[in-house]
Amino acid sequence: MAHHSTQVSSDLIWEISRVAVGEKARKRNYVHGLKFGITGNQNSYLVKRAQSGGIQFSRDPLNLTNVHSRKNAGFVNDKAVGVAPATDGGVTLITKKAKHPQRPASQSHTTTLSGKKSTRKTYKTIASNTAKSGYRPDLRASAIARASAIRKSQKEPKDLPESKLRGAKAKKAAAEKEE
Amino acid sequence: MASRPTVTILKADGSASGATHPLPKVFNSPIRPDIVQTVHTGVAKNKRQPYAVSEKAGHQTSAESWGTGRAVARIPRVSGGGTHRAGQAAFGNMCRSGRMFAPTKVWRKWHQKINLGQKRFATVSALAASSVPALLLARGHQVSTVPEVPLVINSEVFSGAAIAKTSAALGLLKSIGASSDIDKVKKSRKLRAGKGKLRGRRHRQRRGPLVVYDPEVDGKELNLAFRNIAGVETSSVFALNLLQLAPGGHLGRFIIWTSAAFKALDIIYGSSTTPSALKKDFLLPSPIVHQADVGRLINSSEIQNVIRAAKGFSKTKRAGVQKKNPLHNKQVLLRLNPYAAGYSKDKIGTKGLDAGKPERAKGTQFAKVIKED
Repeated sequence: MAHHSTQVSSDLIWEISRVAVGEKARKRNYVHGLKFGITGNQNSYLVKRAQSGGIQFSRDPLNLTNVHSRKNAGFVNDKAVGVAPATDGGVTLITKKAKHPQRPASQSHTTTLSGKKSTRKTYKTIASNTAKSGYRPDLRASAIARASAIRKSQKEPKDLPESKLRGAKAKKAAAEKEE
Repeated sequence: MASRPTVTILKADGSASGATHPLPKVFNSPIRPDIVQTVHTGVAKNKRQPYAVSEKAGHQTSAESWGTGRAVARIPRVSGGGTHRAGQAAFGNMCRSGRMFAPTKVWRKWHQKINLGQKRFATVSALAASSVPALLLARGHQVSTVPEVPLVINSEVFSGAAIAKTSAALGLLKSIGASSDIDKVKKSRKLRAGKGKLRGRRHRQRRGPLVVYDPEVDGKELNLAFRNIAGVETSSVFALNLLQLAPGGHLGRFIIWTSAAFKALDIIYGSSTTPSALKKDFLLPSPIVHQADVGRLINSSEIQNVIRAAKGFSKTKRAGVQKKNPLHNKQVLLRLNPYAAGYSKDKIGTKGLDAGKPERAKGTQFAKVIKED
């Protein structure tokens, strides 16, 4: 099996990258793997705190969990998903399209899912617009969890139950009632 | 080889003019944050002015040590009498009115020499990074309303000093979707903390877009138009500066190019094979590994065609897995003892002694298998 032990030389890699991938795609890929390497330690979305063992969060609108990590970072990827509260109740689903990575203005697509819609339908729409149509399936759960949390936060909080009277106040109230 | 990617040239209203220009080679340079950072730290030091305390400070007294035997420290003490100052310690950095420790000198090494090759590498690296929208966002530029990165505006928009007034410049920035970046700068203006306020650095604010032009084609009037807009800087394409291309050593400055300046880039920087026309002995650096996506390399047909088939098969024993107890785990039990299946199916374990003797295996399929040579 001598012919199988071909060494993969750097020349071969160069040839492959020239032949298999076009110039534009080559550049994009080169940059792609690098982007998080450059921005991982410092970027405008990153929130670093000394508390809780140096916890790191992200303000990236395309980060579904707000946790700073390669998995959740949306801004470095050509395709990404974001969920934000809509102005009049409901949620806005933001999807980043991969077609023109160099055109920021036409890159994101937003869908507003009204607050009048049932939550189940909202989740269904999010799942079918993202994971089912070519977006990363591992983000499905976090997209729905985020939508759910937003919908929950938009509910009117229930009033606290009236506190029962105790001790002398209770006796007094009871006496007043008897009279 | 695929055709070189092109960049749209925009009209004054931000729409495509129909004209395009191939992406200059400089944008394919390797993006090296490490080089940019080290070069930036050096370059940033080269505009400093010397400062020092007075040479005489703390030494303008005729103090002498009293020596030993007076039950006081041997530090020099101010001579004479008739005033409280007499007898006080002097000169030392620990003394009131003494000199500071290691008094600063004007002949400190204020400036840093950085190798020309490194400076050029950092500049092209910063330029390459300015064409990646994600890096612009990571730097904090508000570019989500910008039609394209790199953003190139037709030089006709600037011709004949058309953009010479700030209002015209603001209108242009608004129509190309850069106004949110300008607003960000405006909102960020804060009073500086500390003494810098008194030293000509009263406020601090974010950086906005950098407008790069070709002075021969676009004229210099646009400088006047942009100079009073907070955060906006202008630079000639022939005099690009790392301090503007990567402020703070952070890659990804938002650059607005005029089409003349954009076209000049190929002349100024050349390519990785043709030397630059303006810089002596300069070829663009090229990435050492052109395809850094290892997964894509491994899965390419060129590599897949020549590699051996993977060794082992799907049932190969996996190392480092948790040992399962066969008494609890049925599947593991069956793997060790195939008889267990029939044993539990026929409930042999619950039949007891009265069930009689088991059937002889003689003449069954089982016996045949056992006796097979």
